[in-house]
Amino acid sequence: MSTSTSTQAAKSVRKNNRLIETLNLVLADSYALMALSHLAHWNVEGDGFFELHKAFEEHYKDLFEAVDEIAERIRALDAYAIGGLNKLARTAGMDEFNSPMPQKDYVAALIVAHEKTVDDLVRARDLAGETNDLETQDLMIGRIQWHEKTLWMLKSYLKK
Amino acid sequence: MTSPTTCPDDCAPGACQLCCSLQVVDELLATPGAVTGEEVDLLLDFRHLLRQRTDAEAMLRLFCELRRRLEQGHYLAFYRLRRWLENHVVAELANTAGEVVARVRLRLDFYCLEPIRRACLCGALQVASSSAASRLRFAFVPAHRATGRPLAAFRCEG
Repeated sequence: MSTSTSTQAAKSVRKNNRLIETLNLVLADSYALMALSHLAHWNVEGDGFFELHKAFEEHYKDLFEAVDEIAERIRALDAYAIGGLNKLARTAGMDEFNSPMPQKDYVAALIVAHEKTVDDLVRARDLAGETNDLETQDLMIGRIQWHEKTLWMLKSYLKK
Repeated sequence: MTSPTTCPDDCAPGACQLCCSLQVVDELLATPGAVTGEEVDLLLDFRHLLRQRTDAEAMLRLFCELRRRLEQGHYLAFYRLRRWLENHVVAELANTAGEVVARVRLRLDFYCLEPIRRACLCGALQVASSSAASRLRFAFVPAHRATGRPLAAFRCEG
């Protein structure tokens, strides 16, 4: 894609408040999910401690990189990224959990949070497609793929 | 998540951001080999009670039985049901005149109804005087108030 086409797409997207709003929602989801994964990493205990502790660490590290990428994409679209723990938590509206809880509950709670994030990513992907913003769409597709792979792994863990 | 067509009219699963309980039950029923014939009957009874939204006590008793039978094989489904119920059902402490003096959040940390009731009673007695209390009952939260946000224990107004 040429620079001028890319600029046109960026201008088109700039006018699309819905896309920016949804991208900020995805940013909030990802941040909230990162915090929940970190919490699970610290507090999970029991038979599967080592594997879950390590898996949750991989998840929050990936999400830490993702939130930066999503926020910078919002800035590239000439909008502002939301921030601050209160605002991010309120925007994401995710069901938070308290420790201690059973090992499997951490996995199940994170599955629910990943699913919520995927729902919002799909909305952002579709909105980006409608405005022909292929770069944002590509970013959203990449994120959906990662969350879906993570969901597959977490769901597999819960099976007998 | 799209709203399943089987939801009651006043149920808004999109607003509570949790998988609708009826949808979870329907998925269990639709999964080949997931449950036995007897369990299908129990799930259908449970579904009926969820849909009626009138007898929370019977619904919770049946949920506990289903959880004991099926949770190990369907952990995620029962996690979703637990979270949904904790956000759509409350424990109400009533006085001798039958007036509700306190409502507390339901916590499904046990596999039987009586320990759940005892835990709710302890929570309710922290916000209401024991002399005013007569009995503890379970009730569905009106649909417009079921937001998916955790309910704190609160004193009943009026």
